[in-house]
Amino acid sequence: MRKYLELLKSQIKVETAYLAWYWADVVSTLLRLVIMYFFWVAVFQNRTEISSISFESMITYVVIAMMLENYVSGAGNEMARNIKNGDIALELLKPYDYLTKLIFMDLGSKANSFVRTTIPIFLVAIIFIGIQAPPSLEVAILFLASMLVGILIGTQIDLIIGVLAFWTVNVWGVRVLREAIVKFFSGALIPLTLFPGWFQEVSSYLPFQSMIFVPVAIYTGQIKMGPDALIAFATQLFWLALLFIVVRVVWTQAVKKVTVFGG
Amino acid sequence: MWKKCKRYTFLYGKYFSNHLKVMMEYKADFFIGLFSVMVQQFTALFFLKIVFDHIEVLKGWTFYEILFIYAIAFLGRSIHHIFFDNLWTLGWQYIRSGNFDRLLLRPVNPLFQIVAERVQQDGFGQLIIGGIVLTIASVNLEIEWTVQSLLLLFVFIISSGILFVAINLFFITFSFWMVDSLPIVVSVFQLSEFARYPLTIYPKAVTLIITWLIPYGFTAYYPATYFFEKESVVAMALITPVIAVISFIIAYWFWNKGIRAFTSTGS
Repeated sequence: MRKYLELLKSQIKVETAYLAWYWADVVSTLLRLVIMYFFWVAVFQNRTEISSISFESMITYVVIAMMLENYVSGAGNEMARNIKNGDIALELLKPYDYLTKLIFMDLGSKANSFVRTTIPIFLVAIIFIGIQAPPSLEVAILFLASMLVGILIGTQIDLIIGVLAFWTVNVWGVRVLREAIVKFFSGALIPLTLFPGWFQEVSSYLPFQSMIFVPVAIYTGQIKMGPDALIAFATQLFWLALLFIVVRVVWTQAVKKVTVFGG
Repeated sequence: MWKKCKRYTFLYGKYFSNHLKVMMEYKADFFIGLFSVMVQQFTALFFLKIVFDHIEVLKGWTFYEILFIYAIAFLGRSIHHIFFDNLWTLGWQYIRSGNFDRLLLRPVNPLFQIVAERVQQDGFGQLIIGGIVLTIASVNLEIEWTVQSLLLLFVFIISSGILFVAINLFFITFSFWMVDSLPIVVSVFQLSEFARYPLTIYPKAVTLIITWLIPYGFTAYYPATYFFEKESVVAMALITPVIAVISFIIAYWFWNKGIRAFTSTGS
């Protein structure tokens, strides 16, 4: 465990070094916030609610979802890069479990941007565009737990995408596809409750809504505290466990391929 | 001048046919890219559709009007994405690695070489979606096309493409001083998202910035309004090509300045 925590810390240091990227990230996020805000103001012109969601609760939803969306990808890129340039062979020789290493480095990078980007922007959003703070302490705690599980689910899915680099050259394309599907089914853009019924039905059988919709809906109260919230959280844990196993299986298959090449 | 044109066209043809060979070699990747980009664009439209399932108009704009604006933005961007995608990589693939010096040694315009060294196949997905969306929107808006208006539409789309290129070129040029200005380019590019919606939904300050400072407004909104049957500022639509050309000239001038600064440090 210790070595993985060291990797996590080293990743935080690396990220801190790239100041220009940090500011670019902050600026882009702020710009997106502005666009989002005025878009929804325009949508709510002449009306106070949309399928019983008020403006405040809508803007809270979209802002939190937008910030969460930044966290549901990550480790797969690094893996794809290692596979492409052949470093993977060296990585496999090292005295750590490669997948665990990736997950921890990814958490390091996310912890870093959580503190340096998300929290300041969250405060800006509370002050300037009036998003709601969590209604109670229990909600806040369950939200954080649910968010963490959602992020880990995202990492697992990203790792599956990363493994695909063994088979395809166009990793960029696959990544864009992943992003699009996640956007679609996770509720990153808009609460899933606004979607047509059939779509909600389909997405309830997929892991994607566990990534963003569930934590954010817990936050905004669309999923009520109590049994509903707990069932949603349990479902998230189920997906995380399942995907974790899938990643391991796919990975073991892929690694066999490396050894076949006689690395 | 004529001879130069001919030579560059010939060269670009050479580069392009090489890209084509690569593309054919990796057919699966070509389709993955195409498909992915199409799905990506589709999500943006789907989002809009969901919102419009619950409202009829967005500050006076209908669904198909916004779709039409989107479509022009898609098409403009696809030109940029297909042919000029390599600009993004100036910092890390050319300057940091020293590859840029290699380009300077050749008797061909370095900007041309960078642009020609990559054709981004994935951009074709945008082109296709843009075409489909444009058709759907214009049918539903009952726009009556004439030869003249189609020609104008074509000019607008090309101008939109040039604007995307010019803005990226301008900001990536900072790489000559700071090795890689990609973070700046990425943030500025984010501004183009503003142009996806009618600019009337934003406060004055935002509109002014993306009209006159970083003219993304001309990549879609202003030209699109020309075709709507509502009071639009026709003049703003018609100056689109002029803005595009001026922006490109400024960007190119700045680019040359960047190269001079880069070479004079003796690196």
